[in-house]
Amino acid sequence: MEKRRALINALISKLLRYSLVLFIILSLNFFLPRLLPGDPVMNLLGLEASYAPPEVIESLEADLGLDRPLPAQYWHYLGDVFTGDWGYSFEQRRPVFEAVMVHLRWTVILALPAILLGALVAAVLGAVAGWRRRSPLDVGLSGAFLAFYSIPPFLLAMFALWVFGFKLGWFPLGKVHSGNTAGLAYLADVIWHMALPLAVLTVSKASYDFLVVRNAVVATIGENFILTARGKGLSELAVLFRHALPNALAPLVTVTAIQLGVIFAGTALIEIVFSWPGMGTLIYGAIGARDYPLIQYAFFIIAASMLLANFVADIVYAWLDPRIR
Amino acid sequence: MPLRRPCPSKRTVVGGGILALFVLGALLAPWLAPYDPWRFGARPLESPGGGHWLGTNDIGQDIASELIWGSRTSLAIGFGAAALAVTIGAIIGILAGFRRGIVDEVLMGLTDLVLVIPTFFLAILIMVYIEPRLWVSVVLLGGMLWPGTARVVRSQVLSARESGFVEAARALGAGDLAIMVRHIFPQVIPMVVAKFVLTVAAAMLMDMSLGFLGLFDPTTKSWGMMMHYAFARGGFVNGLWWWFIPPGAAVALVIFALLLVAQGIEGKADPRLERLWRR
Repeated sequence: MEKRRALINALISKLLRYSLVLFIILSLNFFLPRLLPGDPVMNLLGLEASYAPPEVIESLEADLGLDRPLPAQYWHYLGDVFTGDWGYSFEQRRPVFEAVMVHLRWTVILALPAILLGALVAAVLGAVAGWRRRSPLDVGLSGAFLAFYSIPPFLLAMFALWVFGFKLGWFPLGKVHSGNTAGLAYLADVIWHMALPLAVLTVSKASYDFLVVRNAVVATIGENFILTARGKGLSELAVLFRHALPNALAPLVTVTAIQLGVIFAGTALIEIVFSWPGMGTLIYGAIGARDYPLIQYAFFIIAASMLLANFVADIVYAWLDPRIR
Repeated sequence: MPLRRPCPSKRTVVGGGILALFVLGALLAPWLAPYDPWRFGARPLESPGGGHWLGTNDIGQDIASELIWGSRTSLAIGFGAAALAVTIGAIIGILAGFRRGIVDEVLMGLTDLVLVIPTFFLAILIMVYIEPRLWVSVVLLGGMLWPGTARVVRSQVLSARESGFVEAARALGAGDLAIMVRHIFPQVIPMVVAKFVLTVAAAMLMDMSLGFLGLFDPTTKSWGMMMHYAFARGGFVNGLWWWFIPPGAAVALVIFALLLVAQGIEGKADPRLERLWRR
């Protein structure tokens, strides 16, 4: 009971910290365009806005309320953030909120299975490799995953697309679907388009997880509870998967949370290579056009989802910890 | 306190060898590069061979020369940013671990804050507003990649400050600063070096990824710039592998070498890890 209360207090203090980070990010988004060099109007609307007719810019300027004092602007801005009034994207030719939400959906469709699949692959292979430390299997897997970990994800993506798309023609060269399909055929089409980016993302995700799980499993080898499990007469596989691996899962959860930033970054670049219409592709277009509002809110939404994922990981971690459960 | 000097592990030697080759290539760029990397005299999009052993890019610049000159920028950003990050991390870690109490809480609170900020996207946001220059990348990446070092150093300092020699130094009348610099710092050097090597890898990967997006210093050749143009100007969709593979392979090889070195050093710094990695 005592421990449970301490745990809840710890989770609340984490939640406060994450809220503070979100607040800092919101403030950065507010102050950067206003304080950095350049025309604040263009900094807020994006460079493409300068091609818009003057009366449109005037009405947008009036909307921004730059003539009001900063605190009033800030208050107004916070209201806008939480009501989804994120301004207009000249690059996407639609409201920023709409553009971000549509692209966010495609990123989640690609990244979520990759994170889960990568963790699963890493847990199984890492456990086997760590258990048979220094066997040819371990040496081979460790070397391969260390190499995969060294290769920038976008390069891995380009290489895969070049070989399996351009050269062999097994997979489409990008986008999410070929069009003119519906129902089950549409689903199959999307999965076919998704296969290659998903594979690349899974490998790049699994490569780090593998090293973490392997080392955690190696560390359990001499532990008493493993000796006890063996003494009970359990088979090697049962000892590994029921006793050694569960102990290695807690670091995997922590690392998955910390790696989320990396997986988002990795996903973004892989999306660009495969023309996958997710956040990465959105940001890529926005950078080229210097569409600042789009970049700002993409940053905000990515940060928010990362913080949320961190918090979920904190809860899962507490739940996995046998001392608390 | 003198450091024991154990013979370096095989991983450190192999990784260090690869790194040394790249650093040497960067230093000797003016003599190694066959052409001026900015000169567009040759025929554009030439395949490898005939005086251009990696061919030419879309505006007729020699890719091999770009690669050699570009290594300077990419390595400089990696090492520069890591040096800055590790310095910040070591100072914060030592202060927090040594002073403890309120100083520790404030500094570690700050560390945890920076740790959960999506640094890559923050870097994008800042770099679209200000003109990217080499030093901007160094300061920006260095200013974001320190929390890992701060945490590890702090936990090592916490155990180091309990050891007898710190108490002895204090009894002899040594001040806090002297103890931190002369007695605590040498204890954390191996870990700081391992973290430095890993941070170089992280900074180079991040710089490369920013470059791929088009956020690079346009006044100096870099691998990120090469990658961006190879992708954005049709080198990739036309399958011109000699244009997009070399800068990517170069950065992957450097990162691989850095990871090997770091594993070797970590093994020495932490005996528990040594058991895992030494072969």
